Amino acid sequence: MSKNLVLNNISKSFGSLVAVDNVSLTVAPGEFVCFLGPSGCGKTTLLRIITGFEFQTSGDISYGDINLNNVIPQKRDFGIVFQSYALFPNMTVYQNIAFGLKMRKMPLNLIDNRVDEMLELMGLAEWKTHYPSQLSGGQQQRVALGRAIAIKPNVLLLDEPLSALDAKIRVRLRAVIKRLQHDLGITMIYVTHDQEEALSMADRVVVMREGQFRQVGSPWEIYKKPKTSFIAEFVGTSNFFEGRKKDDRVLYGQSAFKVSEIDTADSEKVYLAIRPEDIEIVGATVASDDCVASNIVDVTAELVTFLGAVVSILVRFEGQEMLVDIAQKEFAKKPIKEKDKMKLYFPPDAFHVYSEIFKKLI
Amino acid sequence: MNSIQRENAPLANYTVSSARMEFDKFIVPTVTIFILLLLFFFMLFPLWMILKLSFFKGGELALANFTLSNFQQYFTTAHTLRSLWHSLYIAGVTTVIVTVLVFFFAYGMTRTTIAGKTFFRNIIMMPLVAPSIVQALALIYLFGRNGLITSHFFHTDWNIYGATGIIVSEVLYCLPHAFVILFTTLSAVDIRLDEAAESLGASPFKVFTRITLPSAKYGILSSAALTFNLTITDFGNPVVIGGNYSVLATEIYAQVTNLYRFDLGATISIILLVPSLAAFMLNYYISRKSFSMISGAARPFIPPTRRLKKILYSAFCYCMAFSIILIFATVIIGSFVKVWPYDWSLTLAHYKFPSIGGYSAIWTSVWISLIVGVVGSFITLVAAYAMETRKPYFKQVVYFFSVMPAAIPGLVMGLGYILAFNKPIYWFYGTPWIVVINIVICNFTLGILSSISNLKNIDPSIEEASISLGGDTVGTFFKIIFPLSRVAFVQNFTYFFMRSMTTISAVIFLVSATVHLAAIEIIMLDNDGWTASANAMCTCIIAIVFAMLGVLHFINRWVSRKSGGEVATG
Repeated sequence: MSKNLVLNNISKSFGSLVAVDNVSLTVAPGEFVCFLGPSGCGKTTLLRIITGFEFQTSGDISYGDINLNNVIPQKRDFGIVFQSYALFPNMTVYQNIAFGLKMRKMPLNLIDNRVDEMLELMGLAEWKTHYPSQLSGGQQQRVALGRAIAIKPNVLLLDEPLSALDAKIRVRLRAVIKRLQHDLGITMIYVTHDQEEALSMADRVVVMREGQFRQVGSPWEIYKKPKTSFIAEFVGTSNFFEGRKKDDRVLYGQSAFKVSEIDTADSEKVYLAIRPEDIEIVGATVASDDCVASNIVDVTAELVTFLGAVVSILVRFEGQEMLVDIAQKEFAKKPIKEKDKMKLYFPPDAFHVYSEIFKKLI
Repeated sequence: MNSIQRENAPLANYTVSSARMEFDKFIVPTVTIFILLLLFFFMLFPLWMILKLSFFKGGELALANFTLSNFQQYFTTAHTLRSLWHSLYIAGVTTVIVTVLVFFFAYGMTRTTIAGKTFFRNIIMMPLVAPSIVQALALIYLFGRNGLITSHFFHTDWNIYGATGIIVSEVLYCLPHAFVILFTTLSAVDIRLDEAAESLGASPFKVFTRITLPSAKYGILSSAALTFNLTITDFGNPVVIGGNYSVLATEIYAQVTNLYRFDLGATISIILLVPSLAAFMLNYYISRKSFSMISGAARPFIPPTRRLKKILYSAFCYCMAFSIILIFATVIIGSFVKVWPYDWSLTLAHYKFPSIGGYSAIWTSVWISLIVGVVGSFITLVAAYAMETRKPYFKQVVYFFSVMPAAIPGLVMGLGYILAFNKPIYWFYGTPWIVVINIVICNFTLGILSSISNLKNIDPSIEEASISLGGDTVGTFFKIIFPLSRVAFVQNFTYFFMRSMTTISAVIFLVSATVHLAAIEIIMLDNDGWTASANAMCTCIIAIVFAMLGVLHFINRWVSRKSGGEVATG
């Protein structure tokens, strides 16, 4: 399995709607790539093009040195895991997993071995003779995984495989998939709208919007250096301000913030983004001596929401609402009540600077 | 084709066969072309022959031969023209009566808490198991010249022959068809709307006229259109009870069988086709719309009904059920008594059929129906699968022609078959096979619609999962789709079997000296004055259909128990 899956300038339109807009990507052998984006961003369409269920309007797709453009899905040897599991309801767990092998006319004793191997791997041995409807959602999706892996697929494609499951099982299955990928070295392409899934599992995340790749990078890069304001908001969450650039400062209301990234701004009007957890509370999470004075502001707490690990505080600053997250432990040391006055500190290197904004600010 | 190589053993040796996949590419186009050819040859070709014969002298297609003289003759001859007005009158009146009666019946089933709903629902479906002649036979025994009620109880000379008789029998015949539509409609409309209106202070009458009626309007129109279509195309009831009161269907038969005027028969067929096509189109248009009316949140809970309302609805439903049971009881009892209504001693004499067909007609009907059942339900499922799941080219064309048979009156189709296939090269003409083909084609629409709706319930990912694992079309169909459609298959089989056992109008032109069918024998027997034997034949059909329903009920229970562990999760 030492072949690259290459997407080259793939586009797909349905009538006047452009679902996938000229995207290119090379997936290395054994790599785990996540397509992340809101619904309607074209990620599922792109996956279906890779599977062969849809045909690209233009562009090429190849595996190794074989061009896949005209290869039917049956001959691509890609395993697919569906959101709805798509198990064959009239077949037992065994028969489901054996299906792809039977289609390959494998001798029955080898099928037996392979299915048992899969059942073992998936922890489903005792469910062998059960029908899908007798299993829980998590078990069904494990059968679906086993069925797709049984044929030793060149690439395993997963289309939002966990979104029909409840939260606890979702987290457990994430680990199962990640471990499979690690142990078997399968190339995986995983489609999801859940940023937590993408960040926690992928080697590389592809953020999609309006049919285009907006950023491709490691989960760390995507989170820490979001390329656009959309990604800053979609992956994690961010507070935005519209300010004016003046020398090495950004003017906003009464403040003139010092911003490390300021050189990247090429227009006078700039948008600043800062993540709620990057904001410090002066006197609580940071000592005032360590702060750049111009980046300290006075605000009033409007709403304090306890979220377990973190406490989220909604404040009003220059008429605009803003979220500040602090760790529950920090909060416990110096609790904040609604209507409390407090000083916030925006570290200069916590700001991201954008020249556009994807949504309207209040 | 380029197959992707794999390095890791042992699977490397086993790949999806390229030859099989090449072959697979031809499956769906072949099926599509087969279905299209089938419908062209056995539906459009016969229709075309009718058109040709009615518009061209001698049926010869040439500009010089074009003529409207057949139509002129029809519209200027008083006694043939009458049949058009009669048909429209009968169909119109029947439609109004059926729609009103069945609406309240369905309302009783869905919106009140009266007792015995299962009983009522089963009874109103009963007319489906008998040919559309049972009503006329029974009404004659009850209200005819020697009717039990008219001459025996009331000693009156009034009898039911003619328009009244046709209307009453058509009403009783159309009940189940209209009920299915209105019951579905009223079940689907959210009853909470009514509650919301009531809680806002609307009177029950206001709720009914402002909420219930408007929300069911598409169902009402749809059931009216269907009733109109069924009535105007029915042949069995009018031919038995109509007497001298001719309608379009009986007029076609008379022109062809008595006068050998095939051209006039074809012309009247075209005239009959117009209103029935219009009603069908209306129904088609409406049923597309009405789907959007159905609320997913509709819930089955019905608040307790007020006492008076409950009594009134119960009484009404019992009246309806009684009428239907009376029809069946009359025919069945009538077949076992010596001389209705004078000598009530029991006898089996009427079961010694005096006609040529007799019991052999029954057996022919049974095995034809079994073949029709299997072939019809299988072909429609395959066609639906090819169309709905594999979306071939010309999908819309195939779909359009697949639903068209419902628009064509059986009698017209039958006449078309004579015109088209009465030639030596069509070896199947004059054999039971043409009957099989005719019945399958005539009932193609409902078969394909129910197959499609069944396939729509199967998660499309299941099909894709099979393909991605290397499944070919035939394998996917037989290993996955067919097993998942078993219950629908049995239902379709039931439908085709029942239609085949009971249809009259579609096949009356296709029976011959060698092919006899039970349903047609009824007409022959009645026509020759063996009314009691006609009743006996009718009773035989009813018994066979009921027996088959019983068998299928057990098969269905077995099938669904077997698949109890595999109910689709999608």
